[in-house]
Amino acid sequence: MRAAKKTKLLAKQLFKLSVVNGAVSAEQVAGVLGWVEKTAPRQPVTLLKLYRGYIAAEIAKSRAIVEHAGAVTDATLKMIEGAMTQKYRRVVTASAKPNPALIAGLRVRVGSDVYESTVAGQLATLSSAV
Amino acid sequence: MSNVIEQIESQIAKLSSKAVKKNTGTIRTVADGVAKLDGLSDVMYNEMVQFPGGAIGIALNLEEDEVGCVVLGDVAQLKEGDEVATTGKLLSVPVGKALLGRVVDALGRPVDGKGPIDAKETYPVEKIAPGIMVRKSVNQPLFTGIMAIDSMIPIGRGQRELIIGDRGTGKTTICIDTIINQARINKVGLASGAKDFRPVYSIYVAVGQKQSNVVRTIAALEAAGALEYTVIVSAPAADNPANQYLAPFSGAAIGEWFMENGMDALIVYDDLSKHAVAYRQISLILKRPSGREAYPGDVFYLHSRLLERAARLDGKGSLTALPVIETQAGDVSAYIPTNVISITDGQIFLETDLFNQGIRPAVSVGLSVSRVGSSAQIKVTKQVGGKLKGELAQFRELAAFAQFGSDLDAKTKAQLDRGARIVELFKQPQLNPLAIEMQAAILWALQKNYFDSIDTKQVVAAANSLKDYLTTRKADLLASIRNEAKLSDAIEAGLKASADEWKATFAAKK
Repeated sequence: MRAAKKTKLLAKQLFKLSVVNGAVSAEQVAGVLGWVEKTAPRQPVTLLKLYRGYIAAEIAKSRAIVEHAGAVTDATLKMIEGAMTQKYRRVVTASAKPNPALIAGLRVRVGSDVYESTVAGQLATLSSAV
Repeated sequence: MSNVIEQIESQIAKLSSKAVKKNTGTIRTVADGVAKLDGLSDVMYNEMVQFPGGAIGIALNLEEDEVGCVVLGDVAQLKEGDEVATTGKLLSVPVGKALLGRVVDALGRPVDGKGPIDAKETYPVEKIAPGIMVRKSVNQPLFTGIMAIDSMIPIGRGQRELIIGDRGTGKTTICIDTIINQARINKVGLASGAKDFRPVYSIYVAVGQKQSNVVRTIAALEAAGALEYTVIVSAPAADNPANQYLAPFSGAAIGEWFMENGMDALIVYDDLSKHAVAYRQISLILKRPSGREAYPGDVFYLHSRLLERAARLDGKGSLTALPVIETQAGDVSAYIPTNVISITDGQIFLETDLFNQGIRPAVSVGLSVSRVGSSAQIKVTKQVGGKLKGELAQFRELAAFAQFGSDLDAKTKAQLDRGARIVELFKQPQLNPLAIEMQAAILWALQKNYFDSIDTKQVVAAANSLKDYLTTRKADLLASIRNEAKLSDAIEAGLKASADEWKATFAAKK
């Protein structure tokens, strides 16, 4: 179902209510969900899907997903956390995700930004250049 | 050896372990060549976006939570959830002389099967038009080789002259004739070795046309030996709307290279009606608000920013634009025609009625105008053709009145006779542009009443006979008209002697 303009606007407003001091507040999210259940606004499923999208995008901005082909130490994750926290000026937590397709190296994803330093990435660049 | 070392070093640099930052997003929907994307928080307006499988797109709609992007390539392999990445580059096309004689698509990729193009440079497809200070007024002629146009609606280098008319009235033919004429002038000029000769290179942009028409155009240019001075940018009707929207801008970028490197170029946009339709299609799919005739609000800006790129630059070259607009039932007051009329420096209006009467090119003298071209006209054309437009206008007025009665005074009858002869004289077969010196000689003969005693139906044959006579016997006279570009006493005496001799032989043959 296509979201009406009002539903989009409401989802955006609910999302803004859920962010406190630049981070998503679990308490506020629970409050928003309670309000939706109680008041039953128009297009509730669409509204909640939109709301979920906004929240997920916001959470992704504070999460560094570190894809790796070899082993990654806690120290490396801490270092990445520090660097990303400084870069994005918000608390960023790092989590490791193994991905053997990378062959070697790391790929860090924060929100829609991707930092790639992998052999697979270099090979892809090389193949497109040839 | 140092070259080999450099190659290895650049390869090492490419493979260095430094992290590369990309801004990514995912495909939310794909429909009709337009993709809606999530993410891409850092994307720029008009930035190239890389899709999986090598397809590229251009970000055209930057909204709060999604990006609207036209896909240039095969959309069949794209699916929801696929990852896309920004490239940090604006769309560019290869430019330079390596493109001459080639047929390329909207992205500058060769489609003529003649192998890759060895272009050294690329230019951005979208570029701000040259400003006021760098421009120079139009004062150099660009000869179309069509007598009716060169004598009455002259075009100058750097001008934007609209070719407008219904379907099948000869709009493309005028453009092709003009390109062929440039090639002929280039050949003569370059062979003469004159230092101040400036060749004109042509760019023909085919938008939304039938592939068979494009093939015919290429064949005509090749047969006339004009393809070697021409670049063809093809976005035919089978191409997706994004390519049709981009093709004129790519052509303008190719033309700008010539202009900015001190050369002169001519660009034909054939046609901007179909271009506007392609842009409307994209805009509607992107859900941009629609206005009159469902065109988006910025359709005027679409054409104004394109045509403003045609200019004559101070100390550099020029880019002359011949946009083409197709009207419906001769309606020049429709939305897109009025827009382009107001942007350009004049228009050549082609009438269906004239075309059907056999008057070809079917130029309507009353509705056609060139706002800046007269300052670019050479003296000889002004001397022999200065009064033609007035005489023809008078003829049309009198002809309309003469239909109601048969009793006409001698003066009116003479004006009607003369007008009918001018109309006959301006008939010209397609793909056969006339050199400016030949046009001047014929118009001089008309001015001096050499055609008055010839039956109206015989005027075309007489003009052809005069052309043959001058070409075969008076080549030196034609050369001196071309070089001096004015009617001196010696040239006039030569023309008189030649015309007298021709008249005698023509009368004898009859």
